[in-house]
Amino acid sequence: MAVLAPVSGSAAPVPRKKRLGRVLSERRTRFGLLNAAPVVVYLLILFVYPIFSTLMLSLKAENGGFTLHWYADAFRGANLEILLTTLRISAETSLLALVVGFALASAISRLKPLWAGLAMLVVVVPHFISALVRTYGWIILLGDNGVVNNLLTALHFPGAPFQLLYNEIGVVIGTTAVMLPYTVLLLYAVMKGIDRRLLAAAAGMGAGRITIFRRVYVPLVAPGLVNAGVLSFILCLGYYLTPALMGGEKQTMVASLIDEQVMKQNQWNGASALGIILLLLTFAGLLLLRLLKSAGEALRKRGEAS
Amino acid sequence: MIELRSTLAGRITLAVLATLILLFLAMPIIVIVVTSFGKDAFGNFPPSSWTLGWYKQLFADGSKWPAALSLSALVASLTTVFSLVLGMTAATALVRSELPLRSAVYGLVLAPLVIPQVVIALGLFLLFEPAAMLGSPIAIALGHTVLAAPIGVMILMATLKGIDERLEDAAASMGAGRLTVWRRVTLPLAAPGLVAAGIFSFITSFDEFFISQFLSSVDTVTLPVKVFNVLQYNVDPSVTAVSAILIAVAVVALALVAVVRKLGGSGKQDGLLLTEPTVGLTAGSETSS
Amino acid sequence: MPETDVIPEPALDSAASVTGTGKPVSVTRLRKTYGGVTAVDEVSMEIAAGEFVTFLGSSGSGKTTTLMMIAGFCEPDAGSIVVGGRDVTRLAPQKRGLGFVFQQYLLFPHMTVWDNVAFPLQLRGVSKAEQRRRVGETLEMAGLSAMARRRPRELSGGQQQRVALCRALVYRPPVILMDEPLGALDKKLRDQLQTEIKRIQRELGLTVIYVTHDQEEALVLSDRIAVMRDGRIDQFDTPQELFERPRTPFVADFLGAANFLPGRLEKQTADHTVVRLDTGGLVTARPQAAADGTRVRAAVQPGRLVLCPPGDGFCTGTVETVTYVGTLVRVTVRPVQGADTELVRLELPAGRAPALGERVGLTADPANVSVFPDVLPDAEQGG
Repeated sequence: MAVLAPVSGSAAPVPRKKRLGRVLSERRTRFGLLNAAPVVVYLLILFVYPIFSTLMLSLKAENGGFTLHWYADAFRGANLEILLTTLRISAETSLLALVVGFALASAISRLKPLWAGLAMLVVVVPHFISALVRTYGWIILLGDNGVVNNLLTALHFPGAPFQLLYNEIGVVIGTTAVMLPYTVLLLYAVMKGIDRRLLAAAAGMGAGRITIFRRVYVPLVAPGLVNAGVLSFILCLGYYLTPALMGGEKQTMVASLIDEQVMKQNQWNGASALGIILLLLTFAGLLLLRLLKSAGEALRKRGEAS
Repeated sequence: MIELRSTLAGRITLAVLATLILLFLAMPIIVIVVTSFGKDAFGNFPPSSWTLGWYKQLFADGSKWPAALSLSALVASLTTVFSLVLGMTAATALVRSELPLRSAVYGLVLAPLVIPQVVIALGLFLLFEPAAMLGSPIAIALGHTVLAAPIGVMILMATLKGIDERLEDAAASMGAGRLTVWRRVTLPLAAPGLVAAGIFSFITSFDEFFISQFLSSVDTVTLPVKVFNVLQYNVDPSVTAVSAILIAVAVVALALVAVVRKLGGSGKQDGLLLTEPTVGLTAGSETSS
Repeated sequence: MPETDVIPEPALDSAASVTGTGKPVSVTRLRKTYGGVTAVDEVSMEIAAGEFVTFLGSSGSGKTTTLMMIAGFCEPDAGSIVVGGRDVTRLAPQKRGLGFVFQQYLLFPHMTVWDNVAFPLQLRGVSKAEQRRRVGETLEMAGLSAMARRRPRELSGGQQQRVALCRALVYRPPVILMDEPLGALDKKLRDQLQTEIKRIQRELGLTVIYVTHDQEEALVLSDRIAVMRDGRIDQFDTPQELFERPRTPFVADFLGAANFLPGRLEKQTADHTVVRLDTGGLVTARPQAAADGTRVRAAVQPGRLVLCPPGDGFCTGTVETVTYVGTLVRVTVRPVQGADTELVRLELPAGRAPALGERVGLTADPANVSVFPDVLPDAEQGG
């Protein structure tokens, strides 16, 4: 019942307190608060509070006072190296997942519905299968006598068999496989929304295939690329399983370090500081996404205005 | 329809590339299922001869696997219950009412999906360790619910959005009280969504590793934690059979969801599977409402 | 689980149900604002038991909001609603014991037609045998017996709306509220269902409050119509009164798309008012309190204008268009004098159509001409 506002009176601001009182009096609001309560209380106790206590612990010295030295430790020596390794592997993995995901999503977006559905099934089903199990599958595949090496040897590939496990190649392959469904799903959603006649229109103006790809297709997919890239990077940062099982000494990531500090060294404060650093990196990534999104929107608005 | 025509070479390249990438996704799963029936314990693929021995060994006397399996099943069942209760109430609040600070509540609910799991696990460890609750199935299930509830909320929000709210009004106009409306109208219509949410919550918990790892004690370990330990330290060829079982559980669960959605007649969404739990992850951006 | 909300079933046997079950509804100074915008503004009305009342207005006029407040789906900011002597203003919808028929039918998709209709009886703890009898009777009356085992989605729109009607009728609520129940149906079905609704309402003596934006529908169905605009009732009267004695230009325009002929008030008597039209002629109208010489408009419905020989009547003009609409013909006439005056619209029986370009005179019974101060009717401003 959208009634056009009568010109007079309606714009007068209602005192804030009174308004809240009125909102609360509405039946639906009471009902909403009642229903929201369980999940909010639950997450406050089992999600927000634990993270808050992690933060407190990371700032607590042995004598109970305030300190930043756990953070200083995190950025020193071997710990710093592990942080950098985490960033490096996350970057490598998200980049690879982005490129491979782009190729697959654009291929699927051009398939007939039935085939596209089947292909999406192959993308989505693994996503719901334990990452641990899939990592184990990769260990079998990439071993010295695994399928991949056997195949390459049989084909007389120069240099085969390769060392594919317990090094960075293994970690990046395994982690990419875990991140791939995310990037494919996100990119596919964007690509499905693209009006393919735009590409034909560009061709009609005489643009070549590469120009169309570079000047029309990629810019149209760009928001999805940014989303998928940053998201898979964030998810990699705290990832544990695959690097722990498929990596060597040099591929230790922050999550492994936290696990070790808690389980083996009883070093909770240091682990907390590392956890908070991961959390801040994640927030930074999310903030970056937000900024890029609003920048993109502002750009589009300017384009429309001109 | 104006379409940019693609060249034959381009189409072949694309098809080959797509097939390779799909193989890349499917191979680790296929290799485990096949290997679990092979006589050679590790590695050799394809196996030279076949056996059901690894599966038999799982349930042989003295095997530690049944205990881990039943703990995982117990934890996953508890998680499912918690997640459905929280999911249904939260979805009702978010979809069916005026909620002050609605976007804050929605953000809080989605947050566990983007926060690094190691941070959540560490926090839960710091919560349960002093309470001497490590290894308790309840504690592990409460922890898993942090991850499962957001998925439940998202699925049930989509479900409730798909149910015409005015059907509930119609029932009320005929004299049905809130409880009756819920039981006779909302619940039956939401049943497919509830089943889907329950199944996704179950497998989220059943497959969860990191939180279990932090909250387990020496003698109570869930199936994934045991698999991880075996992979990292021991040599127990039965692990392949366990992995195959985990795959089977996930596939059966997904098939169930597909069947329920088909029966529930939610033909509006394309595809057989819910992709919301993944796509919903787009950095807490509220695409809905 | 116990039914927490069993509603006392009004004691009635099948004989008693034929005589009036309707209750009076009284609405007093109802107000509702949404974020500073007034949707319903001081609406008051008395509806008698067994009366068929329609809220007529365009979207945003407040008619649906008023209905929703009577139903209990939205809470008024002020005012009161009394049904059959009981104040229900703050009651939840399910405690009001009313019936509601929605535009979108809103049948429960997970129940069969039979179960849909039986649902309100089950809520009231009616025995199985009695359920069978009453659901059977109601479906029979609506000609739906053959569809009882079907699901709503297997029915056509008209059938679905019939089921919805059955569902509201089966428990014999004293008041049935209907929110544009026929809005989604095509013209033929609408006419048919209008007749059925009217018949059932009469037979059962129900009080019906009906919302529509279709004036024809309102005129066909209603004992009284409340014409609403900007959250207020412009006029609440019988169709005849509204048509013949519209109290505001809006009512005149909304009900009949009236012609508003500009002019100056020439003289007044106890019986009638005489207006000198800008086109030169004199028109006699119903009495209207206004000073001589003020600018006014004389409003006449197209259907109330009568052709006469050129030179007679209050206006002479040329026939510009002739459009056949079923058994009616719509004619526009351009007045000869006053080049920039608006076309005059007429509706005549098809047999009396003039020829294109013919010169005709226009006249009307003074009882069918209303005079309003010269302000444009709000309808033309898009209100």
